[in-house]
Amino acid sequence: MDYIYSILTLTGITMIGVMGTYMVTGLTGQFSFGQAAFMAVGGYVSAMLALRFNLPFAAAALAGSAAAMLAGLLVGVPTVRLRRDYISLVTFGFGEAIISVLNNSAQLTGGAEGLVNIPKRVDLPLVLLSVIGCLLLVACYKNSKYGRQCLALRSDELAARSMGIDVNRLKLVTFLFASAITGYAGVLYAFYAQYLEPGYFNWTVSAEWLIIVFVGGINSLTGAMVSALILSSLPELLRFASAWRIIIYCVIVLIIINYRPNGIFGDWEISRLWKKSAKGEKA
Amino acid sequence: MLQNIFFGLSLGAVYSLIAVGFALVFNILKFSNFSHGGVMSFTAYAGYYAYIRLFDGRVSSSWMFFAVVTTAAVIGALTAVAIERVGFRRLRRNQAPVIYYFISSITLGILLENIITIFASSNFYSYPVFFSSDNLSLLGTTFSVADVVTLLVSSASLAGLLLVLYRSKLGLAVRTVSFDVNTASLMGIDADRVVMATFAMSGALGGISGVFLGMNYSLYPQLGQLVVKGFIASVIGGLGSITGAVIGALLLGIVEVALIGVVGSGWMPACVFVIMLVFLLVRPRGISGVIVQEKA
Repeated sequence: MDYIYSILTLTGITMIGVMGTYMVTGLTGQFSFGQAAFMAVGGYVSAMLALRFNLPFAAAALAGSAAAMLAGLLVGVPTVRLRRDYISLVTFGFGEAIISVLNNSAQLTGGAEGLVNIPKRVDLPLVLLSVIGCLLLVACYKNSKYGRQCLALRSDELAARSMGIDVNRLKLVTFLFASAITGYAGVLYAFYAQYLEPGYFNWTVSAEWLIIVFVGGINSLTGAMVSALILSSLPELLRFASAWRIIIYCVIVLIIINYRPNGIFGDWEISRLWKKSAKGEKA
Repeated sequence: MLQNIFFGLSLGAVYSLIAVGFALVFNILKFSNFSHGGVMSFTAYAGYYAYIRLFDGRVSSSWMFFAVVTTAAVIGALTAVAIERVGFRRLRRNQAPVIYYFISSITLGILLENIITIFASSNFYSYPVFFSSDNLSLLGTTFSVADVVTLLVSSASLAGLLLVLYRSKLGLAVRTVSFDVNTASLMGIDADRVVMATFAMSGALGGISGVFLGMNYSLYPQLGQLVVKGFIASVIGGLGSITGAVIGALLLGIVEVALIGVVGSGWMPACVFVIMLVFLLVRPRGISGVIVQEKA
């Protein structure tokens, strides 16, 4: 039973990370390869604060998310103005730069050997609550004015600009929100796994999250969540084939690109189920 | 000083092969082909394998080097054509937006890398030493034979490519398709074949650069990530042009060597990245680029 709990916990943490990626990629169309680096920032900052200054978990978590948001600001300000291909390159570079900084600052962060002995403060109930909380936050964001502006931005950036939407600011705000959420995921991971290593947060992790969002459907939050659930718990259950996991992911993506480019869920959101019934009653 | 410049040029020559392979596909299909890295690692390993198979792992003469390079180029071309078939042909048929090409290329790159990891393990292999460690002495600086050969072969391949692009009928077709695919097919050019030929050329260059990277950096599955250097070089030189990619790559090589001397190899990637970022913000067009701002 413990094993299943741990799978669920890690899946929950991945889901929060994927939420961040969904906001950046699905809502604003920027392909960011550096999301995992924000997770690293959040995790490391909160863990170091808890270890050195004995901050309670809540304060460390807040500080970790804030630090990730700051990193997001640093990355986001130059990035939002660039064209699509450059955004991937720049975020990739930032991700790798943050990882190499973490690797090179051995006195502070333990360098490549990792940060050990982080107290365990996170367990399945907290992760579940966090997943639900963050999901509510992101869903509300999507349904708010910002979400509608993002929809316009994603459909046609030039037209959105001509309608008066401040595209750069919108992208930046979304990016900050997403990096805060991803940082929080990092905090949860740090205090759950009790060990952090810079190599866990490199660009392949970000690429996996992108693949997850894409398989579920870039435009659908539900799709991202469902595919995160499936694609991160399945490899644990199929551990015997772990070397083939990424290959299977890639083949899935290729099949989806060729035959169902909008992703499994396309545009569909689970909230349509209860919205339809409301319309039915009125009519 | 001259020594460093020469090192930089040699490194830049390898980067220029990567960058040109990258820029070729960008010209035609207008997206960044991240699967180029996968092609490079794959052909590097394939070259190594061919070498083991054909020559029993012993180096007896330097013409073996050319045999390995040619094999790698051929394998690279075939791999790239296969990638085009699997990943991009259907997208072109369906006129899909550029995002899908992008995802498809990244996925294929990751796929190739992981296939290599499974079949060849994550160990580092060392490429056979083809050249004696002799150093030539010229103008008071020493050049190693390997560097000279790298420079020569890279220049020869690039010259061959430019010859094909600017003096042959196929090259004319490639340039036409890069302007507008639909109009080119109206003029009677078979766009499918031209795209396949472009990928083949890009793959051949990728194969050659894979061999060089294997020689310079030893062989490991993540070798393909050096395609990012090619991307950076293309960006600096300007995304739309081949000569820009070459110039950008040579500059990148020289800058990298200079930076290693100044800040050490730990901080060099971060510095290169900062330079590139500044460049992008100040002159997004690059040195001789054509494409400035995407419309939407």
